[in-house]
Amino acid sequence: MKSAPFVMHQAHSQSNILDLLDKYGEDARIIAGGQTLVPVLAMRVASPDHLIDINKVDELKKFGVSGDVLQVGAGVRQSELEQWSELRKTQPLLSLMFPWIAHTPIRNRGTVCGSIAHADPSAELVLALALLDGSVILVSKKKKRVVRAKDFFLGALQTSRQSNEFIEAVQFPVRGPHAGFGFFEYGYRHGDFAVVAVAVIKEGDVWTIGFGGIDDVVRVYQCTATSLDKVKNFIDELAADTEVREDPTATSGLRRHLMRTLGARACQQAMEFKSDEIR
Amino acid sequence: MKSHQVKLTLNGVEREEVCESRTTLLDFIRHDLGSTGTHSGCEHGVCGACTVEIDGQIVRSCLMFACQADGSKVNTVEGIAKSGKMSDLQNAFKKHHALQCGFCTSGFLLSAEDLLRKNPYPTELEVREGLSGNLCRCTGYVGIVEAVLEVATARVYQNGGEHA
Repeated sequence: MKSAPFVMHQAHSQSNILDLLDKYGEDARIIAGGQTLVPVLAMRVASPDHLIDINKVDELKKFGVSGDVLQVGAGVRQSELEQWSELRKTQPLLSLMFPWIAHTPIRNRGTVCGSIAHADPSAELVLALALLDGSVILVSKKKKRVVRAKDFFLGALQTSRQSNEFIEAVQFPVRGPHAGFGFFEYGYRHGDFAVVAVAVIKEGDVWTIGFGGIDDVVRVYQCTATSLDKVKNFIDELAADTEVREDPTATSGLRRHLMRTLGARACQQAMEFKSDEIR
Repeated sequence: MKSHQVKLTLNGVEREEVCESRTTLLDFIRHDLGSTGTHSGCEHGVCGACTVEIDGQIVRSCLMFACQADGSKVNTVEGIAKSGKMSDLQNAFKKHHALQCGFCTSGFLLSAEDLLRKNPYPTELEVREGLSGNLCRCTGYVGIVEAVLEVATARVYQNGGEHA
């Protein structure tokens, strides 16, 4: 369980990162928190020749609300955002999710953008970005582009990032004050990978429902329903009709069952939602 | 090739060694600095045996490279009982049979100290959630949870807290 040898480059500024990516491209990987990348290297699933450490680039350690989005820079740790006093009001969905994301020592080191870059379809932050219809800011030496979540996540661990680009920041759109949120997931141990994760946004009679862990990408659905029973019926039909992943951790039958039960709970939570009651 | 000069403060003592870029902080602490209290379990971030504290925050030492810890303050289990006398938490672990083989214990102690610092009055559920990142295959966790809860109560009494 040791990584193959690599050259570590300590980046000191954003332009330095871009120069290094331009030079090494596919042979290089960015390392921020490393909470996913280090195991990947240790198991030799990947063995890049160069790692670019961005932990000392201060300009990437910023987050805040600009306009109607919460923008989170590449250097921001998950625990920093989790402990931000305004998070509950600004982005309640993330407040609901953080306790479920791995464990304290992992969140202390892992970054928000790193989780997005890894694009695990059962990851909570990937689900949040897809459900909120957020965006990823990709920068290369030549240009900067903003890619919407649905165009960014291409499959399990696959994104539309080019090898000379890096994620400068991600944007989580802020919803109105009357929106309700719900989130539930099931895993085999608290903080482990979600077998199924469900997140819900309720705005008036419009329900946006996202499922993580059921497919290679997060699936997002929308429906208009005037009562909880109607939205539950919608989820029951979805669970029956949707292609659902089957793997050694769970049968597709279990996943369908979890879509229905966790979906109903998350919708109920969104209906009764009050941001000041989030633990 | 050993090319990285890493200088860090380990349990209050400045230490310096040269290592490879791929050397994890865990291996650096154990092999290069010779402090074997921190244990190497799964080496991919699942078991929590290698938990250490860096600049006041607990992290998995198997999930970062030693060269990334250059210049930081690292505390390990050896720093908990520097005088050679066991801490209150260590004594409670002993009393409640919170360990059998002891392999996971150094990680549990670091995680429990961090939990009690952030939340001095934890409920049983909060202790269980707070320690969920550490695996123990011997005890079934009951003794560990009891030990942490006992120390929490004792410390609150000691500090004249009103929540006890």
